[in-house]
Amino acid sequence: MPSGSMSGGVSGPTSPPHPVVPSRPLRPSRYVPVSAATGFLVGATTLFFCFTCPWLTEQFSVAVPIYNGIMFLFVLANFCMATFMDPGIFPRADEDEDKEDDFRAPLYKTVEIRGIQVRMKWCSTCRFYRPPRCSHCSVCDNCVEDFDHHCPWVNNCIGRRNYRYFFLFLLSLTVHIMSVFGFGLLFILYHTQQLDRVHSAVTMAVMCVSGLFFIPVAGLTGFHVVLVARGRTTNEQVTGKFRGGVNPFTNGCTRNISHVLCSSQAPRYLGRRRKTQTVSVQPPFLRPQLTEAQLAAKVLDNGIHGDLHRSKSSLEMMESQSADAEPPPPPKPELRYPGLSRGPPGHSEEISLLNKAPPTPTMFKYRPAYSSPSKNHTALTHAYANQMSRGDSLKESSSSLLQSSQQPGYRSEPSLDGREGGAGERSGTERTGGPPGGPSGSAVPGYSLGGRSYPSFSDPTVLAGGASLSSSVRSSHNAPPSEASTSYKSIVNQTPPLVPRNGSLSYDSLLTPSESPVFESAAPEMSPGRPRTPVGYSSPFLSAQIAHQREVELHQPSSAALLASTQHAAYIRGSTSSSPPPPPERERLLHDSQPHHHRHHHHHHHRPPRFSRPPLLSDSGHSQPSYGYRTRSTDTPLQSTAHPPRSPHAPPLGKSLSYSSAAAAEMQYRLVRKSSASIGGGGIQAPKDEIQMKSYSRTNGQSKSSLPQSPTTPSSPSYPATVSTRPGQAYSSSGSSQSPAHKPGGGVKKVTGVGGTTYEISV
Amino acid sequence: MATEFHSLQELRHSASLATKVFVQRDYSDGTICKFQTKFPAELDSRIERSLFDETIKTFNCFYAEAEKISGQSYLEGCLACATAYIIFLCMETRYEKILKKVSMYVQEQNEKIYAPRGLLLTDPIERGMRIEISIFEDIGSSSSSSTGSSPSSTAQ
Repeated sequence: MPSGSMSGGVSGPTSPPHPVVPSRPLRPSRYVPVSAATGFLVGATTLFFCFTCPWLTEQFSVAVPIYNGIMFLFVLANFCMATFMDPGIFPRADEDEDKEDDFRAPLYKTVEIRGIQVRMKWCSTCRFYRPPRCSHCSVCDNCVEDFDHHCPWVNNCIGRRNYRYFFLFLLSLTVHIMSVFGFGLLFILYHTQQLDRVHSAVTMAVMCVSGLFFIPVAGLTGFHVVLVARGRTTNEQVTGKFRGGVNPFTNGCTRNISHVLCSSQAPRYLGRRRKTQTVSVQPPFLRPQLTEAQLAAKVLDNGIHGDLHRSKSSLEMMESQSADAEPPPPPKPELRYPGLSRGPPGHSEEISLLNKAPPTPTMFKYRPAYSSPSKNHTALTHAYANQMSRGDSLKESSSSLLQSSQQPGYRSEPSLDGREGGAGERSGTERTGGPPGGPSGSAVPGYSLGGRSYPSFSDPTVLAGGASLSSSVRSSHNAPPSEASTSYKSIVNQTPPLVPRNGSLSYDSLLTPSESPVFESAAPEMSPGRPRTPVGYSSPFLSAQIAHQREVELHQPSSAALLASTQHAAYIRGSTSSSPPPPPERERLLHDSQPHHHRHHHHHHHRPPRFSRPPLLSDSGHSQPSYGYRTRSTDTPLQSTAHPPRSPHAPPLGKSLSYSSAAAAEMQYRLVRKSSASIGGGGIQAPKDEIQMKSYSRTNGQSKSSLPQSPTTPSSPSYPATVSTRPGQAYSSSGSSQSPAHKPGGGVKKVTGVGGTTYEISV
Repeated sequence: MATEFHSLQELRHSASLATKVFVQRDYSDGTICKFQTKFPAELDSRIERSLFDETIKTFNCFYAEAEKISGQSYLEGCLACATAYIIFLCMETRYEKILKKVSMYVQEQNEKIYAPRGLLLTDPIERGMRIEISIFEDIGSSSSSSTGSSPSSTAQ
């Protein structure tokens, strides 16, 4: 007979029957029922056989004892199997199996069984989640599979493996009791005159015992017959689990019965001879070939998480990259994940941005969020399109930002000088994406935004306009006044040395705080109203700034002003020699097609101070650098250092669109400038202006053409924006303050388990 | 259980147990022994999904066959009853026969597929019907991700 779970003998020391089952203290009381049951069963039957059967055999036939003998044998066999057989004890889980489950595991796990939710409870003793229908027996101190009950009469748990024997034992015992009682009665009836004989007395005693036991045994048998027919266990019936509910474990009456009686003997888990492992595991190990998608996903993931935690490093990367100042690769339109498309680390920013929000596939996603006037959407769309192709993730995360940052050009502004516009753009966008004012700290020219996402700025390749656009958008969105100031500050900090594309120093000065005084000096020229003019430029820039400032002033009042500026921009276009600051980016958006856009970018930078300046002046006056500036700003990672006169970057967007964005940008820029002025970062202003200009121009229309959409965005975990980096964007978004950079939500989600435990899951 | 042999060559590129992955049971059809075919994340870079799926499906087939109520199992039960279960001392039940097949299958899978990838399957029956896959990392000269980079002899 298979070994049972009973521990040692009645009086001897207990020894664990199985290695994995801990030894239990000897408890004699446990063996009383089983001993009694055994005693009664064997004793009574033996007496029956000795005293009653001989006469019956003679009187009736020999079949009586045979039948009774077989019955008794059957009862005994089942009794022994029920007593000694392992009911289906689960071995305790090894240490290594539960290490993840023990402390943080919820008390319950839910599984669905045929559509019904069933809870699996964590067994702290056995260290695993009890399978359905498994229960821990306190008497045996084991988890038993398909636990029915612990039967004291057999001193064993009744579970999956021995339920059949227990049931048969009950059935056979009932029949046996009935037959013993019946034959004894027969004997008595035939010996009514000889009741004083021993045989009669014994028979009567046996009859009493059997009669006494018949009632509970029959009751129990009937109970279990019902259970088997219903497919339930005693445990479930007694605890009322399925009262009024549906039992997910039933297969129908017939199937349930056949399952109990006819299924193959289940194996035991304990005490199995463990097969020695003959297979040797030796390196080197094969690795599966990753599919492209898997790789992409992997890269993306890695990038994202990496970016989350290493904004700085990404920034640094950007910085180094920006130094290279190579034109960023053309955007890949189908790219969905920045990580995939981007080669240069500059994408890290985008990736980090991406982390913030789950990548959403399409640029259209941002449309609704975009609060700028509808017209802006068109322009924005282009921008987004470009960006999308490039930055994917960035854009997605910065959807709102994108929308708000109408001015991709803004972003690129800072990078105008020297570095591909994309860098600037990127940083701009990055900034918006990132936390306000998170200074990227990179020396990235111009755009090492405080951290936000400007790292990309430094990297010309990353300039992908998309990134910049998104960041610009973000920054603009995020640019509430306070943020604007911060972002601005960060911008300033970041932009130290924007290498002017055309080598003009003015931009550099514009961008770097140190040079801000230059800018600032220029500013006053532009308009008294301008609080702090950004660094004075070299002559061309100064003029541009002035023009820009004027534009800003012009635009400030209302969109009408924007319109005016637009017109001015057009006007400016014509004039090449006009003072640099072109009309704000919006102008550029409007007239997209012009090379003046570059100028506009310029102007944007100077914009706040330049608002006063008639746009006319700005445009024409823009020197080449402004061109490069512009182009770079949002969309043109492709821009090389030399500002290639930008041919129409983008089809001029609806005037209204550009205006509105321009106006917004202007306003924001002004706010930013003011704050920055207060901060004392004169130089900051300059880059801001530039940035703004860029963003403006970019959004205006460069988005399409100009946005190289380099997927790489400033690597900073890019919180949406600190407006600082992209002042232009701030207002380019037409005042719609971009939601301040959604912080990459920490990626922690709290989940409450069934048992009331709360878990934090990192997203 | 990592390496059977202990030669110097092997020590040079030995594998150490890094982690274990458990394949959970699939209870959607009741308490029958069935495993989830969900691909564990830890194995993502170690084995092809198709191979893993095939292994799990084979396990499921084995156990479904073992737990099936068929004529054979019925006759087995009757016979056991008739012999007062003494037959269990002599004969192997159907389930046990299938468990032996499973064990051989596990061995074969380990030899052919899992061990070369630094993984090791364990027989579910040894773990209370939970599939455990041990993941080994190479602590030899190369990093764990090396695949065949080490020129060493994989002494077998």
